Amino acid sequence: MQWGKNKGLTRWLVLLAVFAMVVAACSSSDDDASGELTPVKLQLQWFTQAQFAGYFAAVDQGFYEGVGLDVTILEGGVDIVPATVLDSGAADFAISWVPRGLVPREEGLNITNIAQVFQRSATLQVSFADSGIDGVGDLAGKTVGNWGFGNEFELLAGLRSAGLDPATDVSLVQQQFDMLALISGDIDAAQAMIYNEYAQVLETINPATGNLYQPSDLSIINWNAVGTAMLQDAIWADADKLESDSAYRETAVKFVEASLRGWAFCRDEFDKCADIVLAAGPTLGESHQRWQLNEINNLIWPSPQGAGTMDAALWNQTVTVATSEGILSAAPTDGAYVSDIVSEALASLEADGVDMIGNGWEAKTIELKEGGE
Amino acid sequence: MISRAFRGFAPAVVVGVGGLAFWELSLLIIDPEGFVLPPPSSILAAFNENFEEIWVASMNTGFIVVTGLIGGVVLGVVWALLVSRFRLANETLTPLAISLNAIPIIALAPIFNAWYGLLSPVSNQAIVVILVFFPVFINTTKGLTDVGATEIELMRSYAASSWQVTRTVRFPNAMPYFFTSLKIASSLAVIGAIVAEYFGGRQDALGPLIVQNAGLTRYAEAWAAVLAGSVMGILLYLVSGAFERVSMPWRRDAETIGA
Repeated sequence: MQWGKNKGLTRWLVLLAVFAMVVAACSSSDDDASGELTPVKLQLQWFTQAQFAGYFAAVDQGFYEGVGLDVTILEGGVDIVPATVLDSGAADFAISWVPRGLVPREEGLNITNIAQVFQRSATLQVSFADSGIDGVGDLAGKTVGNWGFGNEFELLAGLRSAGLDPATDVSLVQQQFDMLALISGDIDAAQAMIYNEYAQVLETINPATGNLYQPSDLSIINWNAVGTAMLQDAIWADADKLESDSAYRETAVKFVEASLRGWAFCRDEFDKCADIVLAAGPTLGESHQRWQLNEINNLIWPSPQGAGTMDAALWNQTVTVATSEGILSAAPTDGAYVSDIVSEALASLEADGVDMIGNGWEAKTIELKEGGE
Repeated sequence: MISRAFRGFAPAVVVGVGGLAFWELSLLIIDPEGFVLPPPSSILAAFNENFEEIWVASMNTGFIVVTGLIGGVVLGVVWALLVSRFRLANETLTPLAISLNAIPIIALAPIFNAWYGLLSPVSNQAIVVILVFFPVFINTTKGLTDVGATEIELMRSYAASSWQVTRTVRFPNAMPYFFTSLKIASSLAVIGAIVAEYFGGRQDALGPLIVQNAGLTRYAEAWAAVLAGSVMGILLYLVSGAFERVSMPWRRDAETIGA
């Protein structure tokens, strides 16, 4: 054929050659594990803050790198549903509260809880001490704020356990993710996490005294004490992939191992961990993040059976509340949580001499500054 | 007579039913789980199951929609009357109306919540009023002012007073414009009420119902609440249309499409 004259054919052959080169270049650059880190994406449930300190610490201290993972942390937000992000493949693992993982699971997303990091619930219902709300029963006839989005189930079950009907005996109000409505008097009782919004009140100046609000100014209802607490932050993974992809399962074990090592670091090296969180750019300031880290450590340690292990009694309580509240239409099917991955991770951590029970953890006293600075 | 009415409805019904059938069948083929976009059958099932909840929520949201719509319409019409009558009013009120319209709800809703209180209906009604008044104002103003010169000259030749001109020429001229804007405003009212609810307030309303169910990946329930909102919008549109037909009997045969 005549190359010079047949321009059409020449053009096609050149394109084909370029295409072949590009394909060859692309395919040769990935896989081959030796020396290459496996990229992993972790979807957080909320914005960057000390609630997720262990993961940030694991990145900063090279724990993930040490097990061959290159972890990117994806910040969460109001409209981000970790379960959906996980299921769609946009993230390899997700942090989610147990009910917020179980509901999508019932809707058909096949995800599973591979490590129950937080051993206790942190949700409170906060009111001012002079409002007379000391127990759940006192909420009758009051305006009770809650965030919805799956955060309100402990409250609803708690109300019912005191014989109140959430629809008629209280005025449920959609609360923003702050404490302004409580402070302004718009609502009588506000939902708060002990590690976050509760501290936001204590970082606000009390107009009556000119000083910060003190814990004695507030009255709290703790759902752990009421008995309707539900399990919260856990690491979730894609159940289908765990079964079909052995590399993914291996990654899961390594991820849990390095993450728990990160949490142990945050317990033993409190100040360094707080600095790591601050470097990650959270919205609220230093004293707030230190308070939060302190409270988060309280939620994890001690973990009598080892961090990340499921507390069967609390799981059952969570399921009971969920089904009786109609959040789940039936108890979750088998496989909602798995213990083998975290057991393997704990075994290698214990072999390494890392304390995964944390009996020695002692809560610190953190001084809050105005605005959480 | 009956066949004529039927011919009026039939295309809409065919398209509607056909569309739903296509939706249902295509999902059966593509995604049997119907996860993110559930088939009409599961949306209707969810609607039935949660009817009580949706009904209460619709009543609460509907109250805001209707009261806000009325408030916004009244404000828009009064504003338009002032602007069409007094040149000074036109120069001051029209720019004000435009700038009010430019402020997004996301900015106003939390401010109104802080002013009027989280649980007060006024904070949501205010959002609806602001959304509704602008189209009503603009359209009604045009209707009141865009009158044929011939008609005005005729009335002047009759030595008609300003009020007589307004009553006999401007008002009838403005009515088609007004009703068009009313139809636009009714759907805006529904949207405004639902979005305003997102920013805090009572939870037994359509806005929270949609958003919370979506946040829990309960998409069938979320769509069921959306369905309720759409029905509300359609009802308001039909009511506006009915008002239009009643108040302008001379226009009954004036609509010509594809003549």
